[in-house]
Amino acid sequence: MAPAKLTRRTLLTGTAAAAGLALAGCSSSTDEAAAPPSRKPGEKITLAFWSWVPGIEKSVDLWNSKNPEVQVKLEKVIAGNKGAYPKMFAALKAGNPPDLGQVEYQQIPSFLLEEGLTDLTKLGINDHAGKFVDWQWQQGVFGDGVYAVPQASGPMGMYYREDRFKAWGVQPPTTWDEFETAARAIRKADPKSYICSFPPTSGGWFSAMSWQAGAKWFDVRGDDWVVNIDSEQTRQVATYWEKLIRADLVKPEPDQQSGWFAEVQAGTIGCWVAAQWGDAILAGNAANTSGKWRVAQMPQWDLAKPASSNWGGSSTAVLNGSKYPKEALEFALWLNTDPASVDLLIQGGYGWPAAKDAFSGSALDKPSPFFGNAKYNEVFAKSDQLIDKSWKWIPTISDTHRHLGDAITAAIAKKTSFADAIATVQQQTVADLTAKGLKVATA
Amino acid sequence: MRRHRTLAVLALLGPFCLLFAGCFLAPIGYALYQSLLKVERSGPLGLGSDRSVFAGAANYAAALRDDEFTGSVVRVLLFGVVQVPLMIVLAVVLALLLESASARWVPFFRSAFFLPHGVPGVIASILWGFLYVPGISPIVKLLDDLGLQVNFLSSGTVLWSIANIVTWQFAGYNMLIVIAQLKAVRLELYEAAKIDGANAWQLARYLKLPMARPAIVLTTVFSIIGTLQLFSEPLVLRPLTVAVNDTYTPNLNAYTQAFVNNNYNLAAAEAVLLALVACVLSFGFLRLVGRQEDE
Repeated sequence: MAPAKLTRRTLLTGTAAAAGLALAGCSSSTDEAAAPPSRKPGEKITLAFWSWVPGIEKSVDLWNSKNPEVQVKLEKVIAGNKGAYPKMFAALKAGNPPDLGQVEYQQIPSFLLEEGLTDLTKLGINDHAGKFVDWQWQQGVFGDGVYAVPQASGPMGMYYREDRFKAWGVQPPTTWDEFETAARAIRKADPKSYICSFPPTSGGWFSAMSWQAGAKWFDVRGDDWVVNIDSEQTRQVATYWEKLIRADLVKPEPDQQSGWFAEVQAGTIGCWVAAQWGDAILAGNAANTSGKWRVAQMPQWDLAKPASSNWGGSSTAVLNGSKYPKEALEFALWLNTDPASVDLLIQGGYGWPAAKDAFSGSALDKPSPFFGNAKYNEVFAKSDQLIDKSWKWIPTISDTHRHLGDAITAAIAKKTSFADAIATVQQQTVADLTAKGLKVATA
Repeated sequence: MRRHRTLAVLALLGPFCLLFAGCFLAPIGYALYQSLLKVERSGPLGLGSDRSVFAGAANYAAALRDDEFTGSVVRVLLFGVVQVPLMIVLAVVLALLLESASARWVPFFRSAFFLPHGVPGVIASILWGFLYVPGISPIVKLLDDLGLQVNFLSSGTVLWSIANIVTWQFAGYNMLIVIAQLKAVRLELYEAAKIDGANAWQLARYLKLPMARPAIVLTTVFSIIGTLQLFSEPLVLRPLTVAVNDTYTPNLNAYTQAFVNNNYNLAAAEAVLLALVACVLSFGFLRLVGRQEDE
């Protein structure tokens, strides 16, 4: 059953990856891909859009009031792996996907593998590249194709309780060394409190920590997916947190869960190193602590080379099988760049805008009573500039995050080394990709 | 006449057979078929194209080689060995107590014991979740005040915390089945036993228990199957604790493979393997008790 071997060279002739996708999709779809169908002038069409972003309906309503001929029908779905993706994958398999879908950056490769996304280069998306923050644009770029319109991200910072740090007599840390010293001082000042918790099963958070340290877990090189989780930078991060956990300086527990919220409300957790979208989570779940929070940059490994990171983020993608990809792309671009739409999305709390220069003057650029009337988002605006641009994801990222959670949980329980846990995750990830029939290289 | 009968048979059996074939046989057949395929990819980064090809037993081999899958099967087996006997004994004891002559307020207690079964599994798990999470749970706090440090959600305890939820939900339900069986026993038998001078204990031991045997066997088989299919309880508790992951039970594992990793073929193979284990255990148990009956 050996398939006729398509070499990379044959595939990359013509319009490169785009042609590759079309070519492989056998004859009839080749014709479709060559000339994307589009609406006749004056024809009234309806595009289906599946998303879970709070408040996005307001932007959709605005579009619909301005575009009577191209109406968008929004269907709210349950976020991520719990609802939206299984539903989209099933619809793709059944051949009736929505025209547009909410797809997180880390999931774009998984959708590519299922041939779920439309290459937007042939629809002229490259003309709009300048409208987006560069690293977020890059999240949708694979080979010569562009597969997603960036929407929002989660630049990281450190939320901390100014009042608690004062009570403990501890300065908020600016480096990870200071962080450790502060953690120790807090345990001494108040044995009931910790500087922060360590979420052992949050793969996204641990990725972000490694991203800041300069790790590049994944990449693509030629035909291969490159896996480099077990790197010096990742081990540095892993060993650092292992040391803090062993010395009982941080509390290993899942974050954003009822137990954690109870501690945040009680002030027995001093800080949370998290993404910009964490502001709404704190304000929504610990309203009693209003006015006591401040935001600073993430603690640094090297103050001379400041670096930040990103946690989360998502795009608007045109799903493969849309009858009107051109109109769908138009809507996606408008949704994520039009100032009125972006303003509505910001009010809904969609995260950090992927649209360039959307911050200044927006609803984000205002003092907040929850953060002691500070313009706290200025911290995230700067953080956004300090994110390494070349971070990529792989099609089996959900597996990798699970392996990471399992390996670190086991290492905590069995008191084994975190560095070994990272090495295990590297091996498991290579095995996952290989099992999917993909070619894998290690750095 | 004969024609009429054929028509009647068709009319009465038809709907069942149709639904049975459509909702039971067809999905099983499709799962079997899917479990024998695999996806082959080509092109740069494997993004070029994919097609399904015959894989033989490759998916089954992969499932059996996967420590996470085999580990999850072993986990539910351990769960079953402990939880099923405990729950069945509890159900039988409750049934016998309610069916004893000296029982008072029988309808009230029967409803009260059965009531947890009316709570959907997901809701029950959320409810118990709140009683387990440190910092929220009044039980943890009370024990803490008494000087007892317990964590219901640690890697050592969470399986038994799930067992507690399942027992809470199903003991009353199983009790009801046993009671129904006891109700079917002819009153003359009880009277005869009483005339012969049997006391309450002897009545229970030598009359009621043997009479309730078919119901006990039935509930045990159901419980074994239910144990292997554990799904919603670990799914709901998963975010609350690091001790439960996406592959904690075989069903959760297959679900994750199918709907998170888009690995339908492997998920199908895991589902078929799980069904096989359930078959072997259920029929094995039936044979075991059948043999004892013959002796």
